[in-house]
Amino acid sequence: MPPHPIAASNRVRRSKRTGAAALACSALSLALLGACQGGGSQTGGSTSSGQPVSITFWGWARGSQQVVDAFNASHKDVHVTFEQIPSGNAGGYAKISNAVKAGNEPDVFNIEYPMLPDFVSQGAVQDLTSRISGLMAKFTAQSVALTTLAGKNWALPLDADPQVFFYRKDIFTEYRIPVPATWDAFRSAAQQLKTADPAARIATFFSDDPSTLEAMAWQAGGTWFGTSGDSWKIDLRDAATEKVSAYWQSLIADDLVRVQPYSSQAWTASLQKSQTVGYLGAAWGAGALKSALPAESGQWAVAPIPSWDGQPASGMLGGSVFVVGKDSKNLAADVEFAQWATTTTQGMQSRIASGISSLFPADPALIPVAKSTFNTGFYGGQDIFSVFSAASGTIRPDWTWGPSMGVTNTAMTDALGRLAGGGSVDQVLQAGQDATVADLQARGIQVAAP
Amino acid sequence: MTITQPYPAPTRTRRASPAAAGRRRARKPWTLSRAVVNGVLVLATAYTLLPVLWLVTASAKNTGDLTGGRGFSLSRLHLGANLHALAAQDGGIYFRWYLNSLLYAGLGALVCAFICVCAGYAFETYAFRGKEKLFGLVLIGVLIPTTALALPLYLLASKVGLVDTFWAVFIPTLANPFGVYLSRVFTAGYVPGEVLEAARVDGAGELRIFWSVGLRMVLPGFVTVLLFQFTAIWNNFFLPLVMLSNTRLFPVSLGLYSWNSQTHTEPSLYPLVVTGSLLAIIPLIIAFVALQRFWRAGLTAGSVK
Amino acid sequence: MKRRTAGERERRTAARRRGNAAAVLLTPCFLVFVAAMVAPIGYALYLSLWTERSSGLGFGGAHQVFDGIGNYSRALGDSAFRHGFLITAGYCALYIPVMLCLALGLALLLDSALARARRFFQLALFLPHAVPGLIAALVWTYLYTPGISPVVSALNSGGIHIDFLSSSVILPSVVNIAVWEWTGYNMVVFYAALQAVPREVIEAATVDGASGVRTALSVKVPMIRPALVLTGLFTVIGSLQLFTEPMTLRISSNAIVSTWTPNMYAYSAAFNRGDYGLAAAASVVLAVVAAVLSFAVTRLFARRSTQARRARELAV
Repeated sequence: MPPHPIAASNRVRRSKRTGAAALACSALSLALLGACQGGGSQTGGSTSSGQPVSITFWGWARGSQQVVDAFNASHKDVHVTFEQIPSGNAGGYAKISNAVKAGNEPDVFNIEYPMLPDFVSQGAVQDLTSRISGLMAKFTAQSVALTTLAGKNWALPLDADPQVFFYRKDIFTEYRIPVPATWDAFRSAAQQLKTADPAARIATFFSDDPSTLEAMAWQAGGTWFGTSGDSWKIDLRDAATEKVSAYWQSLIADDLVRVQPYSSQAWTASLQKSQTVGYLGAAWGAGALKSALPAESGQWAVAPIPSWDGQPASGMLGGSVFVVGKDSKNLAADVEFAQWATTTTQGMQSRIASGISSLFPADPALIPVAKSTFNTGFYGGQDIFSVFSAASGTIRPDWTWGPSMGVTNTAMTDALGRLAGGGSVDQVLQAGQDATVADLQARGIQVAAP
Repeated sequence: MTITQPYPAPTRTRRASPAAAGRRRARKPWTLSRAVVNGVLVLATAYTLLPVLWLVTASAKNTGDLTGGRGFSLSRLHLGANLHALAAQDGGIYFRWYLNSLLYAGLGALVCAFICVCAGYAFETYAFRGKEKLFGLVLIGVLIPTTALALPLYLLASKVGLVDTFWAVFIPTLANPFGVYLSRVFTAGYVPGEVLEAARVDGAGELRIFWSVGLRMVLPGFVTVLLFQFTAIWNNFFLPLVMLSNTRLFPVSLGLYSWNSQTHTEPSLYPLVVTGSLLAIIPLIIAFVALQRFWRAGLTAGSVK
Repeated sequence: MKRRTAGERERRTAARRRGNAAAVLLTPCFLVFVAAMVAPIGYALYLSLWTERSSGLGFGGAHQVFDGIGNYSRALGDSAFRHGFLITAGYCALYIPVMLCLALGLALLLDSALARARRFFQLALFLPHAVPGLIAALVWTYLYTPGISPVVSALNSGGIHIDFLSSSVILPSVVNIAVWEWTGYNMVVFYAALQAVPREVIEAATVDGASGVRTALSVKVPMIRPALVLTGLFTVIGSLQLFTEPMTLRISSNAIVSTWTPNMYAYSAAFNRGDYGLAAAASVVLAVVAAVLSFAVTRLFARRSTQARRARELAV
């Protein structure tokens, strides 16, 4: 059709008609919405018509698909649609915050503990206190503390993984290297290994992921974030952290550890070639190592993380929580699903049975489930969950995450990228400090002088 | 680097006479030897072709062979398995992305080219007040990089509630100031004023003349703008990246990007990214080879004037 | 008298009809122009003047406050943002000369009487342009990644150890992707322009005893200056938009920080920090810099080519 005047007026009329249709539509959806809300307020979560409530769930934790499948198979009242998204820092958080702004946030999604304050202060997640406060007694003290902000419960914790040390038992045995219990012993072990095999290194300092550094600051007794009254205290360079920073700086300077991005092709290749024989990870890493290095089955083992004074101590590394999007209309169904995934035997079993997940449950009652389900052949049959359990008891209690960890972590990640070009661990911490303070001040949030 | 660089025709060019080629051969010998000239061209060709060839061989490898850096061997062909995995992953979403890309690029380029030709024709054919000022506005538009617009577009779209919809990616691709400029040049070159005058004398209405005479004559220009815009949209990455979070609306590029972001934790996605990349460029390569005469004509477009 | 009036009326009717037709034909164009360019820039300008403020510990939600040029001073005061412009400048300094010289050199070689299989070479060199930027970046990322890349293992077995993804080599690695994508395309543009150079001019030069190389540089190149100018302009605009390649490489190389180019800074401000005011301000700064720079390039080259044309006309 040529753009003819008559055609044009036709088009106008047509668009009016579609306009009317749209109005009718939105009226309809308003009605539906009301219906959904009605359904949501019922305890069971199903709508009055008997149709299952459909909710969406985004996550990247290993085994999520299996959990959703098992949930859907065993529940008639709620149907979960799962979407696998890239891990948080690889674009997952950007995708979620995009969806938040667009108003089509998923009903339920996973985030890591550090990001919870960000999402809460953005108003992107719902306060779940009234529905889950009774459940919180199930979880470890740290995971409860980290999901309780301003006195409210915002999330159901999935895992609470202490940092541990994975190492190649065969190689440590071959070179008669004792498994280090202290950081001093770790340094000697690194030295001994390098002497025995100049191409081999004991572990990797991840140059793209500040979470390992954070876990070690936590373990050393650092407190980066705290509040006094109505203002934040930000101190990424407290005495404990300075000790950690100096230690790793010296290992890097003496070429005793590798500096590579986490999960990079280079890292995997060096593990495959036995040029990196240890990994400072957490429980969830057990499954990741297992699937990345099938050829090294039976050669790995897990030990507690070395400590500063010989007294076992640990920080938490990673770990995710379930949160509910601010616009979700199916709160009952959302919580039902999240609760099932985090606190029930079937929920945990279906995840661990996927064979790729090895997380350490935030609900200690489920540890036996994880333990009996995860095949530890890769670790020579070692009772790794007992190691995790023991380490879990040594997590220092007084750590909180800052209100702007997206900014803090981005700044630290960028600074870590400059390590290879002559940057230092101190600079990484300072970059995190400066960016955080600047961001809080720009947002009008009080920052107390450290 | 997502803009295309359509080359607006050199305005004053002359064709070599047919005999020129013959006369050229009679010239003095060049100082560069034939071997050097062709050797350099072969090297350059190797540089441009090898990555594509790697893609072809890599898409026949499984995860272990790919990440283990093993060489290519016919005995370990996994192309079929890769294609199968590609079709199975996330319920065959790859092919949905493919269709989305065709829709965004095909429909977007078609509508955009039509809008451009309408405007270019109007600018060239009619005289009205403020015409050159309006056209100057269009030229300023040419100077603003498309990716610098992606984020403002996102901010606006999230204000009006269009984020994460088909329209959020589709509407911005309809504007192409450079296409308007090209269309004006093409109209000047292809549509003689006398023909339009003759049609007017016959009593045809202006829009009828545009539709049945102008548009028909400027068709090669229309197709040029369409092709440039098609590649530009197919190439576009920033805009869908900011606009879309629903994977079912993704174009191929964004889908492959999101898979690639997950390869660290899911190495089994490596072969899918590689095979998916190969499938995504095959139609474009075929189109470029099939339409090569046209592309060359497009790049020399103005010489007809 | 009567007849003239009738004629006038007829002319006026015709003029009005044409005016209407022009309006109908131009309206869609200006609608999309406003929707896709004017409105977003206007809204970004507006948004860049506002910022979000929270109170207390920040868990009580935020509200918008007018902040004047606050976002601009934050963006320009941020060394990461300025560093992004520096990196872009370094990228331009490396990419533009390399790519243009390669494209021009190849076009001249192809245009020389010695080249064979011109059609094949043109097509083969043009081929990378058919590969979308994101896929080109993916393929090259894999070709840079040790363990996957046959190039890296070939170099390694030859005793050469280069980490293409390390911070010292990452800029050339990004430039290489862009060179691969655009050299062939611009080569075809230059070649087309060279084909249109009048053969008499070249023959005159040859008769005068100029060598092939000399003819190419002193006769052919000046004749295709307009093509060079436009290509240069589009290359500058394109370079400022650098986004797809580093975003893709970033997944495999931590040498590319989240704020590596100004575009990435704006993206990171919006999506990692949720700071729309800052993102808007950064986009506005980038758009202004791009527009000013490309305007300057056009003016600069336009003047030069006018001079060149005048000189040529005088010579004739």
